[in-house]
Amino acid sequence: MTAQAPQGEATKPPNIIRIDGREIPFEPGDTIIKAAHRAGIDIPHYCWHPGLSVAANCRMCLVELPPPAGRPAMRLDVLRWDPEKQDYVPDSKPKLQPSCQQQCAPGMDVLSESSENVAKARAAVQELLLLNHPVDCPICDQAGECRLQDYWLQHQRSGKRMKQEVVHKPKALSFGPTIVYDAERCIVCTRCVRFSEEVAKDPVLSVRERGNLNEITVSPGRELDHDYTLMTEHVCPVGALTSKDFRFKARVWFLRSARTVCQGCSTGCNAFLDFDPRNNTPYRHRPRENAEVNQYWMCDEGMLSYKRAVEGRITSALVGGAKVSLEDALAEAKSVFAKLESKKARVAVVLSAQHSLEDNFALYTLAKSFIGAESFFVTGKPLGKGDDILMSEDKNPNTAGVLQLAADTPPKPMSELIAKADAFDYVIALGSDVEVEAAELIAALRGKKVLVVASHQGPLAKVANVLLPATVWAECDGTFVNKQGLAQVSERALAPRGDAQPGWKLVAQLGRSLGFATEWKRLSEIRRAMAPEPTRAPSAPDAQEARP
Amino acid sequence: MSTHAPESTKPWTKPRGTELTTKVIARPKRDFEVQAYLPAVAKGLAQTMSTFFRNTKEMVLGQKSDPVLEGFSDGVTTLQYPEEKRPYPERFRGLHRLTIRDDGSPRCVACLCCSTACPAQCIHIEAGEYDEESGRHGYERYPVRFVIDELRCIFCGFCVEACPCDAIRMDTGMHAVPYDSREQFIYERDLLMAMTGRDGSRKTANPRHEPGDPSHPGLDREHAH
Repeated sequence: MTAQAPQGEATKPPNIIRIDGREIPFEPGDTIIKAAHRAGIDIPHYCWHPGLSVAANCRMCLVELPPPAGRPAMRLDVLRWDPEKQDYVPDSKPKLQPSCQQQCAPGMDVLSESSENVAKARAAVQELLLLNHPVDCPICDQAGECRLQDYWLQHQRSGKRMKQEVVHKPKALSFGPTIVYDAERCIVCTRCVRFSEEVAKDPVLSVRERGNLNEITVSPGRELDHDYTLMTEHVCPVGALTSKDFRFKARVWFLRSARTVCQGCSTGCNAFLDFDPRNNTPYRHRPRENAEVNQYWMCDEGMLSYKRAVEGRITSALVGGAKVSLEDALAEAKSVFAKLESKKARVAVVLSAQHSLEDNFALYTLAKSFIGAESFFVTGKPLGKGDDILMSEDKNPNTAGVLQLAADTPPKPMSELIAKADAFDYVIALGSDVEVEAAELIAALRGKKVLVVASHQGPLAKVANVLLPATVWAECDGTFVNKQGLAQVSERALAPRGDAQPGWKLVAQLGRSLGFATEWKRLSEIRRAMAPEPTRAPSAPDAQEARP
Repeated sequence: MSTHAPESTKPWTKPRGTELTTKVIARPKRDFEVQAYLPAVAKGLAQTMSTFFRNTKEMVLGQKSDPVLEGFSDGVTTLQYPEEKRPYPERFRGLHRLTIRDDGSPRCVACLCCSTACPAQCIHIEAGEYDEESGRHGYERYPVRFVIDELRCIFCGFCVEACPCDAIRMDTGMHAVPYDSREQFIYERDLLMAMTGRDGSRKTANPRHEPGDPSHPGLDREHAH
């Protein structure tokens, strides 16, 4: 305090608070916990979430604020048990403040870990929250990533003293098509209530009763069925809300995470794909914090889209519908598509908004620079549901990337390919989803020589003479450009299924078997060929550790 | 192949470029006595016979006990296995079993603590949920599949230590049986639940109040408050 006195009169003091003696900058309007969170200091909390309003009801983030010099401290009168007198004696203790609600002030001193009063208060809060908890961790899906478990170890480490039967409440209550609620595990932090109201804009959850009888309830006549229900499970710091999809499927400590980009729509939400490396199976999506794209959230559709990594896959090369080895398929492609550069006017090239920039770049370069094709088309999934929060109507993760890549020869929609089908004899396509009617496409491409590089079953895969099995986004690194124009990198999580290989690798092999110098064999080589396209590395590696 | 190797490089057979140390071992002598064969046979027989006569003398004079007669007395250490078995220690870790409740359902709640603790990764569990009508709905889950690969198991007993429900035990007192195919060592849930402890019981001596049992408080919002 004395050190600041000389400059106090003339200039405004800097926006700095001291937490346990460590100086931390803050921005005007910040709460203590927010400034600490940004600086990487973890103040324990349940109800506070950086993306939600402040409720200050869990009392776990209490900190001690010593009074400014010369001012009396706020104190509370309490009764303290005196073991010598065998009676309660009057005493007082400092009034602690919830750091999630307390605004920062310049030069403010905050005692968190260093205060004995705070440690006592946290242990007491923790004991209170666990008073009626069933402690059924063995059957709880949250076990392993539960705040109650973590904070018990960090701040309590004692048994509860209450001997009475705990309060019993409803268990395994279905809240809707995706969520199950266990009121006994609930600490009523109201994160789910605030999320539904503030982010999903559908205030369908609320709290009923008071004290230790309170529980979360769904509005009468309603179900928890908006488009962001799985986020309520994600924000739940304990095991009260569990996802029906993930329920009892795996224990979280067996799972590993990869930093991926959601493939559900053109928003390109940053996600973690959690998978079990022992059986090469994905189990769930979790949002990954990115202030520019999805903040802390993802929609249900995106959360459940991890299933596309295994469902409806093409796992081996097909020639005329019969399974063959990749070498045989490439040999067949070589005989069918030989001397393609002499018939380049009859070649239609279909790029895919479902595939990564690497895959599209490989096909575009092969077609444009080596074959000399002039007719480019782009395809993807048809339009779907959109909203003002996260969901885009465009259900393709890389539409902007493809349009940007093929800006010299703007790709036309598939409907034009169908309309002018007679002009082409050869079709080389990426992906298998089309936005047009499948029957129309199949009729238009009958009799043509079609080569498709695809990861999933679909209309284009059905008409292919030669079908090469590509990996999905979860099985290879790839770059996707979202609707804002941000190029984002998605990491590989799983090992490829069957004979699948990254799309660009297949295109490069196809080019080589047709006699072109498509010499990309490693990811770094194709990335270098793609430069100067700037790619954004995934957000900071510690993002996985820091939990909101 | 290169025709000219630099002289400084030593052949790779010499470790670290040092000279090989050798020790010359003398060949056996091939003198007349060995080559003629019979003198050596006579020598060997003499050794054998001297031992025979010494032993016989000791036996007749009673200086040593007779091993044949000894075999007829009590205290034989040979067991006629498998008809006879040595008693095992009380805490011998044998094949696993899954304990059951009074109604025949498994005590296991499929928490996967055992498969987490298992250093051999021989336990595979798939969890399921009890029906809405069941009293255990919401309180517990149960193993739809519970598989132990007894070939992989190292019988360390960590699964038993880890179990919070006393649902898995190794007190059957049985060895893994020598089956004729590997598949038979894969023990499924129903087989594990059918096995008994050494006392012949399929339950455990440590009962507790289970949700759904009459002894469980079974309180809820309607009944208690």
